[in-house]
Amino acid sequence: MRPLKIGLSGINAVDNPGPGIGVARSLKEDPDLQVQVVGLAYDAMEPGLFMDWVVDKSFIMPYPSGGGDAFLERLLYIQQHYGLDCVIPNLDAELPHYIKWARTLADRSIQTFLPSMEQFRLRGKDRLVEIADRIELALPETRAVTNLEGLVQAIDDLELPVMVKGSYYKAHRCHTLPEALTRYHELVAEWGYPVIVQEVVSGDELNVVGLGDGAGHHLGLVGIKKLSVTAQGKIWTGVTVRNEAVLEAADRFVRAYQWRGPFEFECMVQGDRVNLIEVNPRFPAWSYFATGVGVNLPARLVRHLFGMPLPALPEYEAGKLFIRYTYELVTDMASFQKAITRGEVP
Amino acid sequence: MMQKLSRLAVSAEGFVFNPASGDSFQVSATGLRVLNALREGQAEDQIAHSLAETYQVELEDARRDVAEFCAALKSFGLTS
Repeated sequence: MRPLKIGLSGINAVDNPGPGIGVARSLKEDPDLQVQVVGLAYDAMEPGLFMDWVVDKSFIMPYPSGGGDAFLERLLYIQQHYGLDCVIPNLDAELPHYIKWARTLADRSIQTFLPSMEQFRLRGKDRLVEIADRIELALPETRAVTNLEGLVQAIDDLELPVMVKGSYYKAHRCHTLPEALTRYHELVAEWGYPVIVQEVVSGDELNVVGLGDGAGHHLGLVGIKKLSVTAQGKIWTGVTVRNEAVLEAADRFVRAYQWRGPFEFECMVQGDRVNLIEVNPRFPAWSYFATGVGVNLPARLVRHLFGMPLPALPEYEAGKLFIRYTYELVTDMASFQKAITRGEVP
Repeated sequence: MMQKLSRLAVSAEGFVFNPASGDSFQVSATGLRVLNALREGQAEDQIAHSLAETYQVELEDARRDVAEFCAALKSFGLTS
């Protein structure tokens, strides 16, 4: 059997890393899965382009916004010239485009394993209350605002401090109105509307990475706690946890919505009270953590998608540590030159 | 009290890990002894008697120390 050629975006393994390299490492570590990783980069300086022990071949992609014809053409070019059996998109902003084109890609024999557009919209930060109600979790008081009057009103309602969040990425704890205004403008400039204003809830932040099969069952769940984060709020060290209330809530989410694809489920836990904070419809940047404790979700996704044997779901152990570290790669300019001039490496 | 305590991972060196929250703690040798006794289901007064006898301290002091230790466990969410 020829190796599966799997396209991965988010190979920007920088200080705010995309999930792609962790997903690629996971795929490579399944001893019975023959995979060639195709990196889909948006910038010639994304480290994954140069990490040839993880990413076999990389292509520079046009941005998917703006109609999408150039993006689809690029994927078809990759399929024709290198091969592309499947794409696992790992960046929030490109997900709605991939979901919209899932049928078109499937007709061209490029598979995806994604939620429906309705599922994708439902877990938006402005509609989380519907999920929280349905799976019986608490939700911090939340307002979606689209103008300054709305922001001020939300802060009046919720009282400082508040969380001010972008519609796709980034969350800031704001203690003053000027701070909230500054963050509001930054988030609008970077991610557009709406901006989410949320009550601050205390407790332990516990997160789950999971994979839904699209028929109401999960193909693996792993719970973690972030022990330290970077200035951008990204995990640096973490530990696996087994909090049954949170794992059961993630399972209820998959069952209630028949979730299809990977997801990250973020909660604040105080005693027996579980507050739902966010559901991200993709692998998180720390998803290799799950692989490291025996639950290889990217490999399980590919096996499920292509009807390959799925090993029994292994139990993972609580108390396993995750430690991110920095590393340097020295190479010559040839690869960079190819990325710039030909748009592909090597 | 027992249910949450029984779930803790406790090493011989006194490193305590709560698998439900991801929190970890370090307890002294005496704290480890008290914690293990609580995990075995011993009553606070029984533990205090044992400590007073072993360390040759006043029973009231031992009772106060055990009570403080139990209050600390509760404040960390390790008992209900």
